[in-house]
Amino acid sequence: MALPLPPASNLHSVLLVTKSRSLGPRLVFHYPPLSPSAAALSGAKDPSWFRHDTSTASAGSGSSNSDWESSTATDDDNDIEIGSRTSGGRGSGRTITGTSYRDRDRSKLGNDVWNKQETIDEDDPDDENGEGGSLDRRRGGDHDWDSVLGFKTDALEKMLTPSKDFNKRRFELGVEGIVFVGAPMFVREDGLWKKPKRRKKKRSDMEKLEDGDLVKNLTGTDEEDEEADSPEDKPVKPKQEPFVYPEGFEPGYGHGSLSSAPSGAPSEVGSDARSNSTSIDNNPDMTMFNVVFVLNPPALEYQQRVKEMYDNVTRKYAKALKFEEARFQYVWKESKRIIDIKQRAKENNESLTSTWRKIIATSPLAKSIAVMFDTISNDQIAHIHFDASFNTSFQIPQADSTPYLPNALEPQMPGLWLTTSNVVLDEDESPMTQHAALLLLEDTETLIKDLGGDSGVNAAAIAFYIRNIIPTKSLLKISKRHDISANDMEYIASHLVYWRRARLIAPLSPRDTYIVSPNADFSSLPAAIPAYAQRFPTLPTLPKMLSMLSGTPRPFRNFIPTTEHRDAYMDILAWLMRGGWVTQLRTFAWMRVTPEIKAQVAAEMAREERIKKSDEARRELLSDNESITESLLSDKRSSLLSAGTVRSSTPLRLGRRDRSAEAQDNEEMHHSTTLSPRVTGSTASGYRGSPVRASSDAGSTSSQRTTIALGSSQRPESPSRLAIRDVKPHRPSPLHLQPTSPSRGSVVSPTSPAAPSPPLPSPKDFKHSVVYSPQKATSLEARWLEKIGQTFEDGSTAIDPSPPKNNEGIVFGVTGKDLRENWPTLLKHLDGRHAIEDVATREGMKRKRVATLFNAVKDRGWLVVVRHW
Amino acid sequence: MPGRAIEAIFYTRFHHEKGSRVLHQVPSGSITESKSPSALPEPLFKYSSITQYLIPTQQFCDRLLTFCVNHHRVIGYPVCIREGKYSRNEFIFNFAIVIGESEVDWACYGEVVRKLGRLLRGLEEQGGFLSREEVGVWEDDVKMGMGKDDEDHSAFGIGGGSKVYALCEMVLEDLNNYAECMIPIDDSNTINLKLFPTRPPPPPILAHQVPLLTISLSSLQTPVSSDLTLNRVLPYINGINSISRIAQLADTDLSLTRRAIQHLVYYGCLVLLDIFSFGAIYACTAEIGGFVVDDDIKDECAQYVRVPRLRIGSDARTIRLGSESSTSRDEQNSRSSSSASHYSDTANSTVRTSTDLDAPSKTDTDSDEWRIDHSTLIQLYTSLRQGLTLKNWVLDHLDLLSGIDVRRLVTFGIIKGFLYRVHKYAIATNLNTTLPPAPPTSLQTSAATSTANLRDSDVATIRNTQASMAHHAQQAPQHNAHAQHPSFSLHRPSVASTTSLNPQVTAKQDVPAFDSILPSEQERQNGLPLLKFLDGMHCFDEICTELQTPERVVEGKVRGIGGEGLGLVIQR
Repeated sequence: MALPLPPASNLHSVLLVTKSRSLGPRLVFHYPPLSPSAAALSGAKDPSWFRHDTSTASAGSGSSNSDWESSTATDDDNDIEIGSRTSGGRGSGRTITGTSYRDRDRSKLGNDVWNKQETIDEDDPDDENGEGGSLDRRRGGDHDWDSVLGFKTDALEKMLTPSKDFNKRRFELGVEGIVFVGAPMFVREDGLWKKPKRRKKKRSDMEKLEDGDLVKNLTGTDEEDEEADSPEDKPVKPKQEPFVYPEGFEPGYGHGSLSSAPSGAPSEVGSDARSNSTSIDNNPDMTMFNVVFVLNPPALEYQQRVKEMYDNVTRKYAKALKFEEARFQYVWKESKRIIDIKQRAKENNESLTSTWRKIIATSPLAKSIAVMFDTISNDQIAHIHFDASFNTSFQIPQADSTPYLPNALEPQMPGLWLTTSNVVLDEDESPMTQHAALLLLEDTETLIKDLGGDSGVNAAAIAFYIRNIIPTKSLLKISKRHDISANDMEYIASHLVYWRRARLIAPLSPRDTYIVSPNADFSSLPAAIPAYAQRFPTLPTLPKMLSMLSGTPRPFRNFIPTTEHRDAYMDILAWLMRGGWVTQLRTFAWMRVTPEIKAQVAAEMAREERIKKSDEARRELLSDNESITESLLSDKRSSLLSAGTVRSSTPLRLGRRDRSAEAQDNEEMHHSTTLSPRVTGSTASGYRGSPVRASSDAGSTSSQRTTIALGSSQRPESPSRLAIRDVKPHRPSPLHLQPTSPSRGSVVSPTSPAAPSPPLPSPKDFKHSVVYSPQKATSLEARWLEKIGQTFEDGSTAIDPSPPKNNEGIVFGVTGKDLRENWPTLLKHLDGRHAIEDVATREGMKRKRVATLFNAVKDRGWLVVVRHW
Repeated sequence: MPGRAIEAIFYTRFHHEKGSRVLHQVPSGSITESKSPSALPEPLFKYSSITQYLIPTQQFCDRLLTFCVNHHRVIGYPVCIREGKYSRNEFIFNFAIVIGESEVDWACYGEVVRKLGRLLRGLEEQGGFLSREEVGVWEDDVKMGMGKDDEDHSAFGIGGGSKVYALCEMVLEDLNNYAECMIPIDDSNTINLKLFPTRPPPPPILAHQVPLLTISLSSLQTPVSSDLTLNRVLPYINGINSISRIAQLADTDLSLTRRAIQHLVYYGCLVLLDIFSFGAIYACTAEIGGFVVDDDIKDECAQYVRVPRLRIGSDARTIRLGSESSTSRDEQNSRSSSSASHYSDTANSTVRTSTDLDAPSKTDTDSDEWRIDHSTLIQLYTSLRQGLTLKNWVLDHLDLLSGIDVRRLVTFGIIKGFLYRVHKYAIATNLNTTLPPAPPTSLQTSAATSTANLRDSDVATIRNTQASMAHHAQQAPQHNAHAQHPSFSLHRPSVASTTSLNPQVTAKQDVPAFDSILPSEQERQNGLPLLKFLDGMHCFDEICTELQTPERVVEGKVRGIGGEGLGLVIQR
C-alpha cells in the first residue's frame, strides 16, 4: 500500500471475558461503562452497512465531510445522505482525527445514553463528572446492568468464550459492521498458565524496542528473559533495575549476571511448587480469559485495522495479562473482585458510571483496561501499570513520514512529514541511522520527565543523552563529541522514534533548501501561531516564515539575516520540521548521455571490431558459422553500426519504435478523442510506487485505492514496479574497474562481417538518453559513462561535447583530474534515488567537496537534475 | 472480483434433538468429513469449534456473523423463524460462505450472504422451501441409529433431488466464475445475486476542481444515467472547465453538479485536476523518479502530449513554433489561463482537415521528426520547480516545446502523480486570530450571492459566446462578466449583513489596520467576502472561483491588507 492511512483505531469498547469452573462464562468488565449499541456502531443499520446500497440516512454516522458541509451553504439535506454514505471507507480520513471523528459520530447519533463517557476520568474519579452528565445518565442505560453494546450480557458472554481451539489464536467475530477482536488465553492441561520449563531466549532488538521501558534496556546488563511461556509466546518483561523478582521468576540457571540467583533446578522446582500452591490443587478455577476489543472499521480498511489492533495491542496485552496470571493469578483475583463490586452495586441499584468509578479506583486490572481504551481509541500510547513491579506500554505504530503526496481523491493526512529520506532503498545498503540527526518531537525537559520517571543513575544518564541531542548534528557526531557509545545512541534514537518521541531526519543545515510542505496541515495554523510566537517572540511570525520559505527555493542560510541569528533560525527550522510545516528539498540526478558520446563510443567499437575481425580472419578463414553469428548479431546491439538501422540506441527503443509505427494510424485517430491519458488500474496504482517505496509496507491489506478504478477488480500490489527493473538486461557495471579495462564492453560484439567499411557514426544519428542506474548499466551504457569519465581529464579545453544549453566550462576549482578520481564515487549516486545531499555522509567526503564536484559535472551538461522532497 | 474466492458454501440446520448439523456442503467434505469419492481429504476447519457462531442464540440471529477460524473466514447469516408449525416453534438455519481469511474486500460476500439468508427465510415462510426437503432426512437419521455424521450426509447430500443442495452448488460456481448468478426457484421466485466490489467513498467535490473523464462515456450506447444533471454536465467535462464553470455552461445548479461529479468519482470515471493556468506553478513530486525510469509511461506521455502531426511539409514546424510562442506571448498579455491550450485545440482541428487532404506518403520520416524524444520529456518535467511559473518556464523552454501541448503535458504529470500544483494560500496574520472564521450571516449571503453571480455571469456568458468565449478558459469569461457588469457589486453581501458584521470586527480589532484595508464602502463590500478565505486553508483557485475575481486582483487585495504585510501569500 502506497499511502499510509490516517491513524484511526476505530476502537469502541474493551471487554474482559473469563470462563471459570465456578461461574462459567462471565463478562467481567467492559469499558466504557455506557457503550453505544452495536447497531449504532455499524452505522446506519441494515442495508447500508457498506453504504452503497439504498441508504437509510437516519442514523447515518455522518462524518468526514466537514469540508463538504461547510463549503456549501446552499446544499439541502440530500447532501447529508451522501455524507452518510461517504463515511464508510475513508471514514477516518480527511482532516478529522480519530477522536473528533468519533465524537462527531456520537453527537450525530444523539444517543444521549452513552455520550458522556469522556467525563469519567479514571485517575481521579472524584472530581468533575458532576452536573451535566449525571442527569442524562440517570435516565436510561445507566442502570441497564444486563446489556452491553446492545446485546444481552449472557448472550455476549457465550459468544466471546470460544472453544479451546482458539487458544493463542486470533479471535475475530464480526457482527454486522462491528468486530470483536480478542486473543483468548487458556489454562494449560496441567492447570498452569505457563510452561513449567523455562527457556532462555535472547531478545531481539525489535522486542527490546517495543518494550516501553527505555531505562531498563539501557542498563549495561544484557538481561535475558526471566521467563518465557513458550518460544513464540513472549510477554513483556518485568523491569530490571529496582525489580523485586516475583515468586517463581527469579533469574534462571545460566543467567550469570545476577549472582544471588539460586541455581537453576531448585528455583524452577520451587517456583512451580509455589505457583501451584496458590492455585487450587492444580485445578484452577478460571480456565480461560479473553480480552476483546470492539472495533467498527470501515469496510475497505477492515483487514488492516483489525490486524494492527490485534498485533500491536490485543495480543500483547493478553500476553501481559497471562504473564501476570501465571505469576499470581492476577486476572482471576482481580476479576473476582470486580464481579463482587458489580454484584453489590447491582443489588443496591447503583448507577453504572458511579460503580465503574469505584471499580477503576479499586482494581488495577480495570484501570488498565480503562487506560487502554482511553488512549488507544485516541490513537495515543497506553502506559499500563499492572502492579508495583510490572508496567509497560502499548501502541499502534503510526507512519511518521510518507514519500507520496496524496491527490484530491486519496485519503488525506495533512501534517504528515513528506520526505523520501526515510525510504529504505536497498536492503544491502547500510542504514543511515548513525548519520541521521534526531529531531525530538517534544521539548527536551518534558521528554526527560516523561522518560526517566523513576530516579536513579539511568535516568540521569538518559537525561544527559537527551539534552545533548540536537537536530543539526548527526548521531555519530553527537556520540563522538560527548563520548556516548554509538550503540547506546542508536538504541535511544530508535526507542524514541518507535515511541513517537522523535524522528530521524537528515541533519538540519543552513546550506540545505527547505520548502513549505505541500502536505502541511494549515488547519492547525491558528493554534500554531501563538505557540510559535511564545517560543520565538522576537523573530518573524510563523506565517511570515512560511511565506518566506514558500517562494523560490533557496538554501536556508539565505533567510538568516546575520550570523547572530543563525542559532535562532535553526531552532525555528527545527520547530517547523517538527510540525511538518516544511520539508527538505533534496536533489536527485541521472546521467545524461549526449549523441556525441554515443557516436564516439560507436566509432570506437567499430574500430575494435574491425581489428578483431582482421585478427580472426588472419587466424582462421571464414567458417560456416557465419550465419549463426549474423543472427546473433541482430540481437546484439552492435548492429547499430550497419547503415540502415542507425536510429536505435537501445533495444527498448527499437521495440517502441516498431510498435508505435504500426500503431501510428490508430494513434492519429485517437488523439483527438482521448481526453486523458490512459489510466488503468495497474498503472495508476502500480506506477505510483515505482522507484522508491517505503519498505515498511506492513499492511498489505491496503484499503484499495480505488480512486481511478477502471480495472479495479484485479489490483496487485504493484505489477509494473517489478517489471521496471527487469526490463533491462542487467550486467554488473564495469565502472568499478574504471578506465583501465575497456575490454569488458567490447567483448560483447564479435565479428561483423557484413560491414566492410561502415560509415563513421556521426552524432546526429543518435539522441540524448538517460542512464537510469549506473550501478546496473548495460555494457553499452557503461561504455558511454566511461567515455564521459574520460572527458574530464582534459578539463575545460579539448572536445567538451557541447552541453545542450548550459553555460559551458565554468568549473570552480575542480580540475579534470580531481573529477576523474571521484567520478566512480559520485556516479554511484546518480540514479535518481539517492539524494546528492546524502553523498557526503555516505561516502565520508566533505560536503562542500561533493557540492563542487556535483556542480562541475552538472555544468558540463551531463546531468538531469530534479529536486523534490 | 478475484476469481474463485469462495472456498465453500454450506447449509446448517439446528435440530431440536440432534443439535446443529451440516445438511449440505459444497464441495463435499469441506466442512465435515464425507465419504464421497470427490470429497476434500480434510475439512477446512473443525466444525465443532464454530457451531456456537453458526447457530447462535436468538440475540445474534438475523444478523451477519463472520468469524475467522483456521485461516478461513466464515460468513454466515443465521436465521430463526418462529412459528407454531415447527417443533419447539423454531426453525433455525444458516447458509454460510467460506472464503480466505485475508480476503481484502470480503464485504461484498457479506452482502450476498445476507441477501441469501433473507431470501431463504422468505421462501421458507411462504412455502416451506427448506423444511419440506427435510421430511425424510431426520427420520432417516434415526433409522441409521443416530449415525454420527457421514452416512446421512452422503445419503442426501449427493442425492440429486435436493433443491437446496443444487442452490449451494450453483451459487458457489456462479459467484466464483461470473461474480453473479440468477437462480429460478419456482414460478414466482428467482434468486439474483451479484458481488459488488466495495468502493471508497468519494471525497468532497469543490467548485474549483477540474474534472477529467478517464473513460469515454459518450461512446456508450445508452445514456449513462437518468440523472438529468449528469447528462447535461457531461459534454462540458473536458479537463479544462472547473466545476463551477461547468455548472454555468450547462446551466445546472452548482451543488447538483458537484453531486453528479461525485457520482462519477465514486465509480472511478473521473479524476480531479486543478485549474490550469500559465500563472500557476507546478513542481515534481518524489514519483518523478518512476517516470524517468519507466519507458512505457514516457511513450504514453509522448503520445498524449503531442500536438497532432502536420503533414503538409517542412514548414509545419515553423508554423507550430510560431503558434506556440504567440500563445505564450498572448499569455503574458492577457493572463487569461489556458487559452493556449484552446488555441492549440483549435489548431488541431484546422490541422486535422489538412491531414485528410494530404497523401500519407512521407509518413515514416515525418513521424520520426514529430516523435517527442524521451529525454526531452524528462528535461521538461524535471525543470518544473517551485517558484517558477509556468509562463516563465514556457519561455525558458520554447525550443523544446515544439509540437507539445503544454496543458496536456502538465495534466499528464498531475494525473500520474509525479507533478503537483503548488497552490497559493492566503493568510491574514492578525485577523484570523481575532476574527471568527466566517460569521454565519456573511457566509449565507455570500453563498447566495455567489449563486446569483453564477446566474449573472451566465447571462454574460451567453452574450459573449459569439464573440470570443469559446477560446477562453474558464476564468476568463468570469473576468469578462466582472468587467462588463458594473451591477456586479450589487450582488455582494447586503449592507445589512456587512454592518452586522462590522461592529464585531472593529470592536475586537485593536489594530488600526482594518480601516486602511478597505477605504471605500465599495471596496469594503468587495473585500469582506475575502476575509473568510484568509486562514491558509483556501487556495487561490478556490477563492477566485468563489468570489468570481481574477487571481491578480485577489492577490493584490491580500497583499494590500493593512499595508504592512498582514496579508501573506504562502505557496505550497
